Amino acid sequence: MKRYLPLLALFAALPLQAETPQQILDALVAQAGPASAARGEQLFRAKSTAGKTADACTSCHTDNPKAPGQHVKTHKTIDPLAPVAQKDRFTDPAKVEKWFKRNCNEVLARACTAQEKADFTAYMISVK
Amino acid sequence: MDHAGLNWKNLLTLALAVGATAFAIARAPADDEAIFPMPAGKTYLNECGSCHTAFAPGLLPARSWRKMLAGLTDHFGEDASLDEPQRLAILKDLETLAADTPQANLRMRRINGAIPGNAAPQRITESGYFKFMHDEVPRHIWQRKKIGTPGNCLACHTRANEGRYGEREVRIPQ
Ligand code: HEC
Ligand code: HEC
Ligand code: HEC
Repeated sequence: MKRYLPLLALFAALPLQAETPQQILDALVAQAGPASAARGEQLFRAKSTAGKTADACTSCHTDNPKAPGQHVKTHKTIDPLAPVAQKDRFTDPAKVEKWFKRNCNEVLARACTAQEKADFTAYMISVK
Repeated sequence: MDHAGLNWKNLLTLALAVGATAFAIARAPADDEAIFPMPAGKTYLNECGSCHTAFAPGLLPARSWRKMLAGLTDHFGEDASLDEPQRLAILKDLETLAADTPQANLRMRRINGAIPGNAAPQRITESGYFKFMHDEVPRHIWQRKKIGTPGNCLACHTRANEGRYGEREVRIPQ
């Protein structure tokens, strides 16, 4: 037991710590395998017929990840998704997970796979 | 001519009365500036201000919030669900600052007074108070791209996320 204590302490500390987008990507890649920014961009731009309120990620986030978006229903302004334009993007694993869950369901009517999340994150990080 | 009513005594009384009124007005900023109390901390802003304005709790009575927070998985067609500790914390804040609490300011009381006791409305924008306050905003303005819907308070009330709806902080986008 004793030798696991430092590990436990590390886990306990994790939720409090902001991570870098690269760390978040690494964690997703560890589940999914290598990520492809090109596939991520396809997911970002793909039109879906299954969506409830929106037919693509771009409906709310616009087709430019560096530009502010607008929620299709509430019209609230949404900060850009690319970390290069909005530095707190992809720094809070719980927040990233929460919005993948909501938005994939909103657009695709299903959860995104770990591979899709890794690809999408890789694309957002690659935007310069 | 004899201005019997305008001797120095009367003038002094008048000056004192004007001064006292000005003082009383200056001391009642909450009721005059349309400020609604907001929950402390960032949780409410992050969880309930991500998809739209973080609406001030004082815009609806506690029973409306209770009903809303019991159905967050289908919140106006969207999934706004929270983990249970967060849901309970937000519900407590909403109940404490709602329109029908004893500490409610004048505006909150007016909002509550216009809602029947057996109703738990879920929309702020359909309340009599909201419609009355915005009856001079023409329809084509609501349809401007940056506004889109009356529920987009933040588009015009630049400090709505701090509960501030005063006239001086209104900027209608083009
Ligand atoms: C109905 C509008 C809407 C659609 C459609 C939408 N999103 Fe979002 N998305 C939001 C909102 C609102 C936020 C959170 C607002 C904020 O943090 O500024 C968000 C945030 C995110 C975040 C969080 C990023 C971070 O670290 O802060 C990710 C990831 C994300 N969206 C991915 C997607 C993906 C993938 C799709 C398409 C499958 C998508 N979104 C479609 C509205 C939308
Ligand atoms: C995932 C996005 C999302 C989240 C998170 C969210 N909402 Fe909403 N909310 C909506 C949508 C969409 C509407 C309906 C907008 C419309 O049709 O005009 C709405 C409408 C509302 C309205 C009615 C506004 C009106 O028209 O008068 C209130 C009040 C409200 N939400 C409160 C909350 C509270 C409190 C929370 C936090 C527990 C919350 N919302 C979290 C998406 C969200
Ligand atoms: C089109 C822009 C616009 C939008 C969107 C909007 N308002 Fe207003 N609001 C106004 C204007 C203009 C006034 C009148 C200013 C005045 O004379 O005080 C006003 C007045 C008010 C007042 C009264 C202020 C006072 O001095 O008593 C309140 C409260 C208020 N709005 C709340 C809201 C809420 C809550 C929302 C969102 C659910 C909202 N408004 C959305 C433009 C807007």
